[in-house]
Amino acid sequence: LGHARIFTFFSFKHCVLWVIVKLKEKHLVLLRDGRTLIGILRSIDQFANLVLHQTVERIHVGKKFGDIPRGIFLVRGENVVLLGEVDLDKECDQILQRVSIEEILEEQRTEQQAKQESERLKLQAVKERGLSIPKADTLDDF
Amino acid sequence: LFRRFSFDDDCTLEEEEGLVEEEDEIDQFNDDTFGAGAIDNDWQEEHARLAGLDERVRDEVDGAGDASSVDLSLSGSNAHSSAPPQPSSSSRLYPSIDERGGGDLAESLTHLILGSDPAIAGVGAASSDRSLRPLMLSGQTPQPSALAGQSSLLLSYQQQHQVMHRGPAPLSQINSHSIWENSMGFSPVSSGLLTQKEDKTLMSIIKEVGLPNRPPALSREEGRDFSERVPPPRSSSPVIGSPPVRAVPIGTPPKQPMSHVHTQQNNHPSAIQHVRASMPLRYPPPFPERLSPNNLLSIASSPLSHSPFPAGVGPVLSQIQRAQLLNSQVGPFQRGPAPPLLQGGVGGFRPFFGQSGPRVGLHGPPLGHAPIRHNTTHLHPQHRRMLNQRMQNRGLGDHVGGRGVGDRKNRDPYSNLMTQREKEWVARIQMMQLQSTDPYLDDYYYQNYYEKMEKRQERDRDNRKEHTTKLITPQVAKLEHTYRPVQFAGSLGKLTVSSVNNPRKMIDAVVTTRSDDEEKREKQVWNKRRQILYTVEKMYSLLLEVQDFEKKFLQTPEHQRDALLEQHKTHMVQLYNSLREKEWDDRVSDKQCLMIMSVRKGKRLISRLLPFLPQPHAAAVVMGIARNLPALAKKDKHDQVLCWLVEPVTTVIQSMSSTSLTDLLQELQGSEGQLPLVLQNKFGVTLLYLILSEGERMQSSDPNCQLMDDNRWTELVFSVTRELLKVPSSALSSPLFTPPNLVSLFSRYVDRQRLELLQEKLQITSLTR
Repeated sequence: LGHARIFTFFSFKHCVLWVIVKLKEKHLVLLRDGRTLIGILRSIDQFANLVLHQTVERIHVGKKFGDIPRGIFLVRGENVVLLGEVDLDKECDQILQRVSIEEILEEQRTEQQAKQESERLKLQAVKERGLSIPKADTLDDF
Repeated sequence: LFRRFSFDDDCTLEEEEGLVEEEDEIDQFNDDTFGAGAIDNDWQEEHARLAGLDERVRDEVDGAGDASSVDLSLSGSNAHSSAPPQPSSSSRLYPSIDERGGGDLAESLTHLILGSDPAIAGVGAASSDRSLRPLMLSGQTPQPSALAGQSSLLLSYQQQHQVMHRGPAPLSQINSHSIWENSMGFSPVSSGLLTQKEDKTLMSIIKEVGLPNRPPALSREEGRDFSERVPPPRSSSPVIGSPPVRAVPIGTPPKQPMSHVHTQQNNHPSAIQHVRASMPLRYPPPFPERLSPNNLLSIASSPLSHSPFPAGVGPVLSQIQRAQLLNSQVGPFQRGPAPPLLQGGVGGFRPFFGQSGPRVGLHGPPLGHAPIRHNTTHLHPQHRRMLNQRMQNRGLGDHVGGRGVGDRKNRDPYSNLMTQREKEWVARIQMMQLQSTDPYLDDYYYQNYYEKMEKRQERDRDNRKEHTTKLITPQVAKLEHTYRPVQFAGSLGKLTVSSVNNPRKMIDAVVTTRSDDEEKREKQVWNKRRQILYTVEKMYSLLLEVQDFEKKFLQTPEHQRDALLEQHKTHMVQLYNSLREKEWDDRVSDKQCLMIMSVRKGKRLISRLLPFLPQPHAAAVVMGIARNLPALAKKDKHDQVLCWLVEPVTTVIQSMSSTSLTDLLQELQGSEGQLPLVLQNKFGVTLLYLILSEGERMQSSDPNCQLMDDNRWTELVFSVTRELLKVPSSALSSPLFTPPNLVSLFSRYVDRQRLELLQEKLQITSLTR
C-alpha cells in the first residue's frame, strides 16, 4: 500500500538481463494454474511471453515427480508466476524420485481426491457450527 | 508498395508491376494486418530451410576460419547469383547475388550497413562485425551471404554517389538512426541518388535476392551465434511495442518516382538521422512523431547517459551517439523533425563521449562474456559493483566453459531464435519502465535497504579513507508518449493505421447498465463498500504522508522545513476531518467511524492513525470506539481484527485524564445491555480491563487524584463488577491480556466473597484463553 514496487531496480533489471543472457538454457517456469514446465527458453518479450522448447511438464506429488513431454510451448506472459534457470548439476542429485507418467498421474489423482474430501468435511463442520466461510468478494483486498 | 518487392519467386519484375496495381486495393489491408510474412513463404518450408541452412552454415563456418581476414571474398561466395553485374559500379561490386539470400532483405542490409562503419561496428546481434568499409567492401564471411553481396552492391551505389560527393558519412548516417528504424524495406539505399537505370537494376537485384531465405551468415570471433535466423518480415508499426519495422504501413501514398530525394544539410548534431526510403519505396515518412522502441529509449535514456558511470549505455545507444557525432557533417538522410529531447541529450552527451572516444569494434556483449551494461544509473554504486563482479565471475566461467561447449552449442539449430538485437530491445523496454523521477516513491524498499547498508558499512569501516559512495540518482523527466494519429498536411481527418502490432480502437462501445432489481441491490451494497474503501484509501494516503513526515523533515533543507511543517499540519487536519461529524464539531462522527471500521482496512488505518493524532482527538476517537463497540464487534465477526487496536488504544488511555477516563468507561458501558455485549468480545473485555487498570494505577499512584472526586467512577466500577459477576463464564470472552492490578482494583469495591468469585471467574477466563 503506497510503496508497492519492492526491489524493482534491483531484482527486475537483474532478472531481465540475466534471463536474456541465459537464453537457450534450461528453465523452469511456474504457471498461474500451478503447472510446472521445464524447457529450453528460446524467446522472451516484454510481456514475459515465453517460448519454450522441448518442454516437459513436471508433476510433483510428495517426493515423486513425473515428466510429461510436451514439445514447444508458447506461454502468455500474464500466466507466468516464476521463471528460473535450472542448475543442471543440481538437477542430477535430488532427493525427489522420478516415476513414470502413469504413476505420477495416479498419485496426483489420489492427492486431489484427498484434498477435495478434506475440503468437504471442513465445509460441513463449519456449516454445522452455524458459521460461514466468507466468499472471496466480500473480503476487501489488501 | 512493398508488394513490388515481394519475395515471390515466380513473378518477374515486369509482371509484378502489373500485378501490383490490381492487388493494391485488395491486399493492402492484408499485407498490413497479417504481415508481409503471412503471404510470403510457407513457414514450414522456411523452417525447414532454416534448419537445413543452419547445418550448412555451421559447416561452412567451421571451415571458414577467421572471418576477420575476409576481404574481398564476397565474390567467391556469391557465385550463385544470377544478377548481372552492375555496370556503373567499380570493381568493388560483387555482381553475384546469392539466390539463397535471406528472406529479409532489409534486415540483412541493415546488418551489413551497420557493420560497415568501423566506428559503429558490432552494433547488434545481427550485424556482422566485419566492417564494410566504405572503401573496401571487405565484408562478410565467405558465407553464402547473398545479401552481403547484395547490399554491398547497394552500398556501393550509395558510396559511389555519396562518398564521392559528400564524404564518408553516409554509412554512419544510416547507422546513426536507431537500429529499428529500418522501416523502409530498402532504406539503406539512398533514394535520390540512383538514376532510373540503376533503380531498375537495383530492383531486379532486390527481387532476386528477395527469394529463398538465406540468412547472411555472420560470424564473429568468440561466442557469437553462428547461425543467424532471419525472421519473417513483420507488419509495419514503428511504434513502441513492435520489433523492427520492415514494411510500409497502410495509408502511405503509393510510391512515385522521385528524381531526387531532398536532403537537408543537417548541421545540427542532435537530429536523428533516419534513412529515407529507397527510390522504389518512396514514401514520405508517415510517422515522424512515432518513435520506435529504440528511438524512444535512446531519447529517454540519453539524459541518463550523463551519469558518471562509464559504459553505462548499451551498445546501440552509443552507436547512435557516435554516429551522430560523425554525422555532423552531412545529413542526406533525414526523417522528419528531430525529437526535441534528443537534442538536449545528445548535445550533452558529447562531452561524455569525447572521453570514451569512439570504440571501434565494440561488440554487443556475447553471451555471458561482457556484462550487459545497460542503463545502470539507478543502481547503487555498491550494487553495481557487486553485479559486475558477479557477471564477470559468471562470464569467466561461461567463457571457459563456452569454449568447450561452443561446439555443442553450434549443433543446436534453434539457438538463435532471438537475435541479440531483439534481446536488447526487450531488455530496453523493460528498463524504460524502471526510470523514475522519484526513486523514493517508486522504489522505497530498495532505497532504504541500500541506505541501511551504507550506514552499516560506514559504521564498520569507521570512516576510512575509502569513503562510501553515495547514490546519485538522476531525476529523469517522465516522458509522456501519447499516441497522436497520423496526419497528412492539408488533408481532412486523421488516419489511424492499425496493424497487428499496434491495434487501434475502431468502435466506440457505450456501456448501458441494465436495471435488474436484484442486480441493483447487490450493486448498491458493492458500491457502498467501494465507497468505504475509497474513503479509507484516501485517508491512508494522507496517513502515509504523515508517517513519512519525520523522515522527510530530516532531509529537507532548513528553509523548506516550515513549508513541510505546514503541509504536515494540513494533512493531520484533513485526516481528522474525515472522522468528524461536522467541521466545527470536534466530536467523532459515529457514522463515519462505524463506516470506516466496518472494513478491515479501516481498522488497520485507525490503529495506525491513533498514534499520530493529538491527545484530545485521539481520545475522542477512542470514545467513539467504545461507544460503538457492540456494533463494531458485530461487524468484526469475519475479520477478527479489532485487536489491532489494542496497542494504540492502550497508549491513548494511559495518557488520558481521569475525567476522560471516567467518561470512557461510561461510554463503554453505554446503555442497558451494552456491557454484556462488550464482555462477549475479546477486544471489549481487553478494553474494559485497560480502563480499569488505568484507573487503578491512577488511584494507587496518586492518592488525591480526581478519579474519586465524584462518584461516577466508583459507580461505574460497581456496575461493571456486578455485570462481571452476573454474566455467565461462557459469555465472557478472554482478553488479550489481563492487567495485574485488577485484583487490587476490585478489592476496593467488593467484599471478600465477591472478590474471590471474581478472581475465580477472571482467572478461569484468562486460563482458558
